[in-house]
Amino acid sequence: MNELLTIRNLTVKFYTYDGVVQALDNLDLDIKQKETFGLVGETGCGKTLTALSILRLISPPGRIESGSIYFNADSGDKPIDLLAIGEEEIRAIRGSKISMIFQEPSSALNPVYTIGDQVSEVILLHRRQELVNKAIEAINASLARRNSFVNTLANPIRLAERSLYQKIAQNPHSLWPRIVGRIPLVRRLLQRLKNEAKKMAISMLKEVEIPDSERVARQYPHQLSGGMEQRAVIAMALACSPRFLIADEPTTSLDVTIQDQILELLRRLKSERESSVLYITHDLGVAAQICDRIGVMYAGSLCEIARVDDLYANPLHPYTKALLAAVPKPGEEPHAIGGIVPDPLNLPSGCRFHPRCSRAIGICREHIPPMHELAPEHFIACHNYQGETGGSSC
Amino acid sequence: MELRAYIVRRLLLIIPVLFGVTLLIFALLQLFSPVERVALYVTNPRQFASVPDMIAKYGLDQPVWVQYGHWISQIFQGNLGWSKVVSQPVTSAMLNFLPATLELAIFATPLIIFGGIFLGSKAAAHKDKAIDHATRLGAIVGYSLPTFWLGLMLLMVFYGLFTGLFPPERLSTEMNIVVHSEAFTQYTKLHFLDAILNGNGRVLLDSLRHLVLPVITLTIVSMAFIMRLMRSSMLEALGKGYILTARAKGLDESTVVSKHARRNALIPVLTVSGYIFAGLVNGVVITETIFNYKGLGWWFWQSAVNLDVSGVLAFALFNGVLFVITNLVVDLLYARIDPRVRLGGKVT
Amino acid sequence: MTSLRYMLYQLRKNPLSIIGIVIILTFIIIAIFAPIIAPPPEGHIDPYMIPRYGYSPIPKPPSEGHIFGTTEGQYDVFYGVIWGTRSAFRVGLIVIGTVLAIGIVLGSIAGYFGGVIDEIIMRITDIFLAFPILILAMAITVALGPSLDNVIIALIIASWPAYARLIRGDILAVREEDYVEAARGMGGSHLRIITRHILPNSIYPTLVMASLDIGAVVITAAALSFLGLGAPVGYVDWGQMISWSRNWIVGPPGNPLAYWYTVTIPGLFILFFVLGWNLLGDAFRDILDPRLSRK
Repeated sequence: MNELLTIRNLTVKFYTYDGVVQALDNLDLDIKQKETFGLVGETGCGKTLTALSILRLISPPGRIESGSIYFNADSGDKPIDLLAIGEEEIRAIRGSKISMIFQEPSSALNPVYTIGDQVSEVILLHRRQELVNKAIEAINASLARRNSFVNTLANPIRLAERSLYQKIAQNPHSLWPRIVGRIPLVRRLLQRLKNEAKKMAISMLKEVEIPDSERVARQYPHQLSGGMEQRAVIAMALACSPRFLIADEPTTSLDVTIQDQILELLRRLKSERESSVLYITHDLGVAAQICDRIGVMYAGSLCEIARVDDLYANPLHPYTKALLAAVPKPGEEPHAIGGIVPDPLNLPSGCRFHPRCSRAIGICREHIPPMHELAPEHFIACHNYQGETGGSSC
Repeated sequence: MELRAYIVRRLLLIIPVLFGVTLLIFALLQLFSPVERVALYVTNPRQFASVPDMIAKYGLDQPVWVQYGHWISQIFQGNLGWSKVVSQPVTSAMLNFLPATLELAIFATPLIIFGGIFLGSKAAAHKDKAIDHATRLGAIVGYSLPTFWLGLMLLMVFYGLFTGLFPPERLSTEMNIVVHSEAFTQYTKLHFLDAILNGNGRVLLDSLRHLVLPVITLTIVSMAFIMRLMRSSMLEALGKGYILTARAKGLDESTVVSKHARRNALIPVLTVSGYIFAGLVNGVVITETIFNYKGLGWWFWQSAVNLDVSGVLAFALFNGVLFVITNLVVDLLYARIDPRVRLGGKVT
Repeated sequence: MTSLRYMLYQLRKNPLSIIGIVIILTFIIIAIFAPIIAPPPEGHIDPYMIPRYGYSPIPKPPSEGHIFGTTEGQYDVFYGVIWGTRSAFRVGLIVIGTVLAIGIVLGSIAGYFGGVIDEIIMRITDIFLAFPILILAMAITVALGPSLDNVIIALIIASWPAYARLIRGDILAVREEDYVEAARGMGGSHLRIITRHILPNSIYPTLVMASLDIGAVVITAAALSFLGLGAPVGYVDWGQMISWSRNWIVGPPGNPLAYWYTVTIPGLFILFFVLGWNLLGDAFRDILDPRLSRK
C-alpha cells in the first residue's frame, strides 16, 4: 500500500455558546509513504484541527463527529482506524508512530523541567524494551568483568536490578517495577533506565544540531533561544522515529534566518529517515520549499490538491489562484483577495468560497463541489471543472 | 536577577522591616498611659509596689526615642514584661503555652496543605462535573464560615448532642492529673507525643479526642482557601501549551495532570503560603478561645480582654517577627523551586 | 453580542452567582426595611440596642412574640439579627470603601512613580502585613478601647496595606502598555493619566478582591465583638449576639440542643451574608476573566 494515512469523511464540530461551528466538513485526504504533504490555508481554515484529529487531541467543546482515519503503520498489517481504536492504543501511537510539533516552542515546553528530562520522557515511554535490554546487557557486562573487591560488593544490587529489568522485559506492564518505582530509596534500582534514556536524549539533541548538547540537556526552556527551543521540540518528536510527523507551523513564530535553518534541518531529517510529514503553514513560499504535494484548504474543506510544481505552475481552483496572486512581488501591486473570511457560525451555502469567487456560477451557491481528479494527481473541488476531462464525480 | 544577589537583597531588606515592626508595636504601646506601660518592664509582681520608681527607672515619661531605646534593650534581654492574667513573666508564659498550640498546628497544617491541594487538583481535573461543583460549593461555604461559629456549632453537636464525644479543652480532668503525676514524664509537653513516649494509651486517646474538634475548626477555612486557589491555578496550568505537547507524546491523562500540570500549579500556592500562615494564627486564637484550649491563642485572648498590655503586645511582636522570617523562607523556597527565578531570566 | 448579554450568559451558566446576587439583594432589603420588619417597641430609645424583655439569664425558645426566641438576658433574637444587617453593611462598606480609597491613592503613587517612593511605601506595607489581621486588630482595639467604631478603625489600619499592594500590582501590569505611552505622549498630567487611562483598565481584579473581602471584614468584626473587644453588650451585632450563647452551648441533659437558636440563628445570618458576597465576588471574577470564559 502506498498510502500511509487515509482520511475519509472527517467532520469536526464545535459546540459553542454562539452556535455550532462546522469546523471540518467531510474532509478526504491521502498522505503517501515518505512524502511531505503541505496543508496550506488562511488562519482558521481548519488545518490545525485536521492535525489534531489525527492524534485525537480535540477537546471539548470540539468533537469529532464522524469519519475515519486509516493509518498504515507497518506495511504488511492491515491499516487501523485511528478514530476507532481504544485510548491505550492511540496513546501508544502518539509520540512513537505519529508525532506532532507545534507553533510556539516556548509554550510547548514545560518551564519547570529540563530539556533533557522532557526528551527522555518520550524515550522512556515508548522505547522501554530497548532501554531495558541495554540495561541488562550493561549489568551482565559488569558482572562478567573481573572487578576489584570493593566493586564486587555491589553485585547483589546488580543482580536485583537485573531481575527487575528481566521482569519488565518479559511483561511490560508487570507490577513489580511499578511498585519499586514509587518507593524512594529503592527507586534507584531503576536509575539505569533513566540514564540510558538520557544518553539517547542527548544524542537526539545532537542530531537536531543543538551545540553542546550535554549542557543544553541540563538547561531549562527559558534559558534557550526560540530556535533552540524549536530544535528541542523536534528532537522530542523524532526521538522514537515516528513513521509520520505532523508539523503545525513550526517556523511561524521564529525569525526568518532561524526559519531557514529549521527548514533545512527538517529537510535533512526527512531525507535521512523514512517518514512522511504533514507540514501545515499559511505561507506558500515555505510550502514550496519543503513539500512534495500541497493541499489548499478553505473554511473547513479542501479546494485543491496537487504536486508542488503542478500547483504553482497550473493552479486551477479560484482560491488557489487568488492566493498565489496575493503574494507580493517586487514591482507589482499586491492583489488582496476581495471579501472577508466567512464567519464560522454562518458559512455560505454550497461552495464556501463562492461569495468571493470571480468565477462563481449558479450551482456554486447550492451544492458543495465534490473533489475529483482532473489530471493525474491533481484534484480539484470546483463546479467550474466538473464536466471536463473525464473525472468521476462524487 | 541572579539568585545570590536576590537572596542577599532579601536578607538586607529584612532589617528595616523588622525595625519597622518594632516601631509599630512601640507606637501602639504609646497609646497606653505610663502606669500601664510599667507592666512591660517588670518580672516580679512585687515591683508593682513602687510604680513611680519604675516609671523613672525606665524613663517612661521621657522623650519617645529614649523610651524606645529602653524598651528595645529590655526585649533583647529577653524581658517582655509581666503577664497579669497568668501571674507569670510573659516569656515563661509564652513558653508554657507554646506546646499546646504546637499540638494543634502539627495536626492541622498537613491536613490544610495536602487536603487543599488534593481536592483542588481533583476539582480542576474534573472541571464542570459533579465532583467539581461539589468541591467548589464546599470550598465556598467553608470559606464563608465564621470560624468561631463553626467551633461553637461543632461543640454543640459533638459535645452536647453526642454527649461528651469530643470535649473541649486539652484533657479531661482525670487524665490531666495523670499527666502531671510522678508516673508520667512530660518529655515534650505535647500530650499526644508524651503519651506515646510513656506508652500510656489512655492519655493518648484522651488527648486525641480533645483535639478532634479544634483541629477541624482550625482546618476548614484555610483548607477551603487553598482548595480554591489550587483549582484555579491548576486550570490555568492545564490550559497551557505544554499540556497539549504532553498528551501528544502519548502520556496518560493522570501523568499529564500530576507530573506536568501540578508542579506548575503549585507555584502560585507556594507564594501565598505566608498568607495561609496568617490565617492559621488568626484561627488559632479563635479556636483556642472557643474550646478553652489553653495555648498561646487562648492566652492572647485573655490578655486582650483583660487589657493586659504586655501580653497583647508581646504576642503581636512575636507574630510580626515570625511572619517576616516566614515570608523570607517562602520567598527563598520559591526562588529555589521555580527555575526561572533560580537561574536568571525574567522573574514572573 | 453586547457585553450585557454576555454578562447575563455568564450568570446563567453559573447558578451560584445568581444565588449570590439574590442573597445580597435580600439583605439589602432587610437592612433598608428593618424598622418595619422589626419595629423597636414603644419607648425604646436607641434602635441599635436590642430591646430586653425581662432579666432572666435563661434563654427562651421561639414563641409568638419572639419568632427567634430570646437569649441570655432576654434580648430578642429576631430584632437583633434583623437590625444586625445594618450593622454588618455599615462595618463592611465603611472599611472596604476607606481601604480602597487609601489603597488607590498610595498604590497608584507607588506603582506609577516607582523608584524610592515605591520602595518606601512597599516597606511600610511589609511592616503592616507582618501581622495577621485579627492579631493587629485586637492589639489596636485593646489600645483604643473596645467599641464598634474602634473596630472599624482597627480593621482599616490592618487592611489597607494589602490593597495598596494590589493596586500597585495592577498599575505595574498596565503601566507599560501602549495606550499609556500614547497618553503620556499627548502630554497628559500624571493625575489624568492615572485616573483616566490606567485605573479603569487595571482595577477589576482588585474590585473582585474587595467584594470577596467585605465578607472577611464582617467575619473579623464579628469575631472581635464575639471576643468582647467590639460592639458593646446589647448592640445589634451578630458577633456580639453569639458571645451570649457561649454559656448555653450545651443545654440540660436530655435536651442538649435546647438553646440552639441562640447560636445557630445569628451565625446563619453571618454565614449567608458572607456567602452572598463571596459568590458575588466569584461571579465578578468569572465575568471579568477572559481566559476562563469564552474560548
